[in-house]
Amino acid sequence: MPQLRPITSGREGIGLRSRHVSEIAATRPEIGFLEVHAENYMAETPAMDRLLELRRDYPVSVHGVALPLGSAEELERGHLARFKALIDRVEPVLVSEHLAWSAIGGAYLNDLLPLPYTEESLDLFCRHVEEAQEKLGRRSLIENPSSYLRYRHSPIPEPEFMTAVARRTGCGILCDVNNVYVSASNFGFDPLAYLEALPIPAIGEIHLAGHHAAEGVDVLVDHHGSRVAEPVWGLYVAALRRFGAVSTLIEWDTNLPALEILLDEARHAEELAHVHRYVDTAWPANAAPPSRPRR
Amino acid sequence: MRLRRAVLGGDTAGIVAAILGDGLDPAARVGIYRHHAFATLGDALQGTFPVVCRLVDKRFFAYAAHEYLREHPPHSRCLVEYGADFADFLARFTPCQELPYLAGVAHFEWALNIAATVREVTPLEAGKLAAIPPEEAAYVAFRLQPSLSYLASPWPIDAIWQANQQDEMPAVDLTRGGISLQIRRVGEAVAWQRLDPGTFAFRTALADGLVLAAAMLAATLKDPAFDLAESLRQVFAEGLAVASRISPKQETPQ
Repeated sequence: MPQLRPITSGREGIGLRSRHVSEIAATRPEIGFLEVHAENYMAETPAMDRLLELRRDYPVSVHGVALPLGSAEELERGHLARFKALIDRVEPVLVSEHLAWSAIGGAYLNDLLPLPYTEESLDLFCRHVEEAQEKLGRRSLIENPSSYLRYRHSPIPEPEFMTAVARRTGCGILCDVNNVYVSASNFGFDPLAYLEALPIPAIGEIHLAGHHAAEGVDVLVDHHGSRVAEPVWGLYVAALRRFGAVSTLIEWDTNLPALEILLDEARHAEELAHVHRYVDTAWPANAAPPSRPRR
Repeated sequence: MRLRRAVLGGDTAGIVAAILGDGLDPAARVGIYRHHAFATLGDALQGTFPVVCRLVDKRFFAYAAHEYLREHPPHSRCLVEYGADFADFLARFTPCQELPYLAGVAHFEWALNIAATVREVTPLEAGKLAAIPPEEAAYVAFRLQPSLSYLASPWPIDAIWQANQQDEMPAVDLTRGGISLQIRRVGEAVAWQRLDPGTFAFRTALADGLVLAAAMLAATLKDPAFDLAESLRQVFAEGLAVASRISPKQETPQ
């Protein structure tokens, strides 16, 4: 029996891209929240002022893509301090980072590189999450990666690794449903079993995005450059049934379309969340009545 | 480190043994990450240097960006801060030597990028200078706006940049001689202006932290008619100085 929980930060959100900022400011579309990449707002560009203006009307989620929580080196203090300064200014509803690493020997590769899942890497990763949460002064969500390679020595299954991180550090989980689908397809595991293995109370956000097939090899790549694929919508419904209604983000970073397309994807996610809510509230006789559907 | 070498340098020999094939060459799996790193970092450079990209065309730019990335991977995680030494790299990069102004245009685009990403701070008021005892005035040094860049080039790089903002590129007279530029943030906009040689020498000396007497000497050597009082008035009128100090020791231009 899935657990019913209120939507924590409104409805479905979209990633905020600079090309859409003026249109959003002018038309004020109904969106549950806006999510920004932390690293795009660390420099003192006029974009920061635009974001703070939008912040008055929309909840904002800050998604870090470069804090090297999974790197074997110490966390880079300078970057963490800039992350903290950003959070203090924006006061986001959600803060998230990745189960990955992206820098080594001082070089930043702008990749979300995979970790081997071992007891040793678990200790290290948890230490970094704890340090980050302490410095940022708040709980953060950790996102499951899309993977294109597996290490020979990586004995802990990924959802177990995620669960252990959440249990040990108190962090939440950002479940990227498209990443689950992509990795499952690349390595032939069951995506439903993956969702089943994640702890329900830890799930704080869902990401949805497009993927494509890599050129010349039989691998799906999470590219955030197209509409959410049909089977991923199917998996999203399964995620809703397991986790309840969770703040859901439409991510779109490359081949950016018109704002209307993003809003359309967000509306579709919202429709599915509504349908799911009625399905679940119809069963138990003593359940609280469903809240009124919006629009 | 092995994965860094594999992703940056394409040297996968040290890493493939640790990776499961899962029906594919492990090196091809590393290649997916490598492709993503180079594609997105290359896009970031193209976003910062759009006119350089237009001047050499996209394919050549991708090649130059690829070589640059291998030598100079980013250290900052903010990609707008990536590319500080791209212009110097292009100046040394032999395949583009036939475009002698290319590195200059890259310097200009980097200065525009700094101006776009660094906020101006409250400028010093002119009254602050008047309060300094006359006998110490020669040893005053200033800190200038952090968004400022000064750039001199034998090519009209600002005109080349401007011409490339249009679909139909107008002709640029490359023989008109060199230019000395000041680039800065003004409010939310980026602005630049050409400076006369004396003013340019004076302001670059101040920007480097030289004391007033030394900056004046540099400017006068460049332009014997240099007017210190008027130039200093201009520095304050434009809000360029943000802090001042009395230098304990005399400094002279190199």
